[in-house]
Amino acid sequence: MSTAEIVVSQKHIVTALVQNESGTINRVVSLFRRRGFSLASFNAGDCEEPGLSRMTFIVEGDLSVVEQVLKQLIKLIDVVECSALPAESSVSRELALIRVKPTPEQRDSLYKLVLEFYGRTPGAQSDQIVVEYTGSVPEVEDVIHALKPFNIVEIVRTGVVAMSL
Amino acid sequence: MESSTGNESQLRERSGAAVIMEALERHGIDTFFGYPGGVVLPLYDEMLNWPHVKHILVRHEQCAAHMADGYARATGRVGVCLATSGPGATNLVTGIANAMMDSIPMVCLTGNVNSWAIGKDAFQETDIQGITIPITKHNYLVTNVDDLPYVLAEAFYLANTGRKGPVLVDIPKDVLQKKTANPFPTEIKRRGYQLPPDPDPAQIAEAVAMIEAAQRPVLIAGAGVMWGEAFAELKTFAETNDIPVINSLLGLGTFPRDHELSLGMMGMHGEATGTLAVQAADLVIGIGARFDDRLTGDTKAFAANAKILHFDLDPAEVGKTVSPRAWVIGDVKATLGEINKLRTAQLSHPEWREQIRTWQAEYPLVVPEGKFLSRTVLRALNAHTNGEAIVATDVGQHQMWTAQFYKFKQPFNWMSSGGLGTMGFGFPAAIGAKFARPDDEVWAVVGDGGFQMTLQELQTAVEYGVNVKIALLNNGYLGMVRQWQELFYDNRYSSVAMGSPDFGKLAEAYGVKFFRCERTEDLDATLEGARAHNGPVLCEFVVEMEENVYPMVPAGGSNSAVIMDPALTHVEPPEDVVASFETTHAPHHIPEPELETAGANQ
Repeated sequence: MSTAEIVVSQKHIVTALVQNESGTINRVVSLFRRRGFSLASFNAGDCEEPGLSRMTFIVEGDLSVVEQVLKQLIKLIDVVECSALPAESSVSRELALIRVKPTPEQRDSLYKLVLEFYGRTPGAQSDQIVVEYTGSVPEVEDVIHALKPFNIVEIVRTGVVAMSL
Repeated sequence: MESSTGNESQLRERSGAAVIMEALERHGIDTFFGYPGGVVLPLYDEMLNWPHVKHILVRHEQCAAHMADGYARATGRVGVCLATSGPGATNLVTGIANAMMDSIPMVCLTGNVNSWAIGKDAFQETDIQGITIPITKHNYLVTNVDDLPYVLAEAFYLANTGRKGPVLVDIPKDVLQKKTANPFPTEIKRRGYQLPPDPDPAQIAEAVAMIEAAQRPVLIAGAGVMWGEAFAELKTFAETNDIPVINSLLGLGTFPRDHELSLGMMGMHGEATGTLAVQAADLVIGIGARFDDRLTGDTKAFAANAKILHFDLDPAEVGKTVSPRAWVIGDVKATLGEINKLRTAQLSHPEWREQIRTWQAEYPLVVPEGKFLSRTVLRALNAHTNGEAIVATDVGQHQMWTAQFYKFKQPFNWMSSGGLGTMGFGFPAAIGAKFARPDDEVWAVVGDGGFQMTLQELQTAVEYGVNVKIALLNNGYLGMVRQWQELFYDNRYSSVAMGSPDFGKLAEAYGVKFFRCERTEDLDATLEGARAHNGPVLCEFVVEMEENVYPMVPAGGSNSAVIMDPALTHVEPPEDVVASFETTHAPHHIPEPELETAGANQ
């Protein structure tokens, strides 16, 4: 039973190269919804070829689910290719922007902390500071956790992008 | 994509509407089905210049889709339907979903409001592209008339290649009016769209080894055999390897029902022999069949003693519901052809065949005498037409009885709403089939429920003189729902008793020849009279009200727990479907059916 639960909670990285046309994103996301595939994260953006986009999905489920995701994705006419990336031979990153509102006494320690985790502070306005951080999902989670004492006001995350090594 | 045909006449400018008519002509569409409206007026005007591409005016757009569907199922060619924007387009939705579930090649054309008005909630605007994303193989919104020739060519190509399916092209009014000189492409190259691969020799070899090792093989032939036109290969394959052939619902007709190896349909209401044979088999070969839930019952118990071998062109079907031991991805005609080249020595499974003959003798389909039953009618229809008519049905009891009692000998003669289970499908599908094959006898078998959903097409049949016969089995109930309420809801009938109009007066109002038959004694005369009349005929058969379809595997139950017809003297299935069989397998356990409701084992 516990084994099954562990298996079910597995997350897999799936990437797809798609033709960027009217309705493409709608069609891809609709597939996940209608077939009940659990989509933890989704990202789409331009890629090295004009007219094509590359999408990254984080899919929850066991291997048979991932296999069905890939088989159903490639059936979409817009999808040129798709694959699952093995965690050990791929790099995955997420960018997070975290707006914090530290007390005046906290500001120095905030900047020190951001330097420690190789984050950046691209902007600040009056008493609010935007922290930028890029890393793996657990690292992003750690940074968010570390910033909690500084009064987090807003978080924006891109979702994961990934590439094989 | 950029290539030119070199044909001067195609380089002249013509409107988007003319491009559409030209596309239909180029793809051999002699008949298509539609309903006009404001935004498609430019196309309806253009149609007058193309009298050889005949437009059939329907009475509801849903039926335009079903007629295109019937046209496709009767020919293997692409069916085309057309609707205007807004409600015209949304009325197509059921028909498109129906075609998607059964993988029917269709091109569905919709008009839309002017391209500059899209998104402004204009009159009769609807996002039909968005609405149909989950129910089309692909769809398009064409906002530039220069794209139209390529898009239409690609739409036909996608609809009719690989795993077939409906493709929708949504075209704003101004795109119908604007002109383009762009030619049609000579070749479609869609990156990422791959036709089924040639069968992998290693997979073929594995399949051959499994077939040669099997002692109790059965095969399940689905509609993929029909669309892949693999009938001859299937027959050779079954005969050479001595493998009994079961059909999925939509696979009926892919293997002659009068062949000694044919076991008919299996599953929820399939014949018991096929259902039991799969449970006892050591090898189950699915060919162009998708192992849907009505066929498998509880997948954990399905074919519990067998290795499953799956031949399909769609990799996504492999492992979707059941877990095959091996598979071959590719066109089933090519797959069977390759295996037939390797497997030429005659195999023989005499003990297995004997077991199957025993089941056939013990659990035949029965038609109790002394009552006027739907089964009585369908058995007679089969006899009168010698199993050679085109037959279309809706969904429900009449559908299952037709599948059981109509002994299809040829493919492309059977059209039924298998996946979506659409009431009202049969009659318009039959009309579409008759347009496609005017020389063949066409029957729509419908119930009183489904017929009342699309009977307005009687007028279409009358106007075009469509010689289609309707066998209306009137039992005063939504029969299948009533059966479930009887068996699983303790006879608590809720909204299933159904009144009907006086069908004789209705037929008279439409000008349709009418027969009413209430007794077995009048059956032959009714069928003879209907068949002799040249034109649409409505035959109302007033049948027994509370007749149940058997055998029956309750939804989600194990196929081993099939409920036999109470009319049989021995209504229980064998305790253990392989008990009588010496087998090298370890003792096995067939799970209890997982029934959620009492009363299922009555």
